[in-house]
Amino acid sequence: MNLEKMMDLPGAMAAFTYSDKGDLQSHLVREGTELTAQVLDLLAHSCVANLAIANMEARGWEAVTGQGGFQPLKGFSVVGLEWSVVVNGNCGVVVRNRDADYEAAFSALQAA
Amino acid sequence: MHIVKQLMAIPGVIAAGEFAFRGDRFSYEGALTDEFARMASILCRANTLAINMQTEIIDSFAEGCGCRPVQGWIAHGNLVTICAVGNYFAFIENRDELLNDVMTIMRAKVGDIRDDLLANLYSKLGGDTKEALY
Repeated sequence: MNLEKMMDLPGAMAAFTYSDKGDLQSHLVREGTELTAQVLDLLAHSCVANLAIANMEARGWEAVTGQGGFQPLKGFSVVGLEWSVVVNGNCGVVVRNRDADYEAAFSALQAA
Repeated sequence: MHIVKQLMAIPGVIAAGEFAFRGDRFSYEGALTDEFARMASILCRANTLAINMQTEIIDSFAEGCGCRPVQGWIAHGNLVTICAVGNYFAFIENRDELLNDVMTIMRAKVGDIRDDLLANLYSKLGGDTKEALY
């Protein structure tokens, strides 16, 4: 996992990897941001939960409606006031909203 | 132009709508049935409340870190993506630049969500917005 490459994404403030349970494993934080390892660890745990829920919803939606295209889920993002966290698999990136390129972030995470 | 109509004018937007606090009060346009739109509204409301709770916890550890009040979320599927900002949602195809455009429009049209998101959602039902919501 190349966190330095993630930090090249537009508006990237932090990049991190986490275990299947959501424990923070590695991270990079841009200097001057208020993000700490503790915040990233909490974020990682919430992201694991959100990915699991979104996967369940995608599976259920397809089964109930017969509509396709939701699975496999390729990522989830929470959009905060100033920044967004974009995650997929075991990797995430925090990007500043005003510079965020969500498509680039999802693509980078898929390639990671 | 109303945000839902504006979203529906963009090629690649499958459906868009608005949901209220209970999730089963909704309006929508696009390729959904009434029942599917009801389910989508409940799904979006549930996810919105969940990430509100999560960011409250994160904010308690790092007050003013920039995550609250939460603005919305994105579930990026294989061919379809669901976006929610405030109490609006959109189902969109995965096309180049469409997700960024839709998020820009939704953020611009809805505006920054303030702390009273849940109260606003609840008040659409005529509920007492002073009572504890959860």
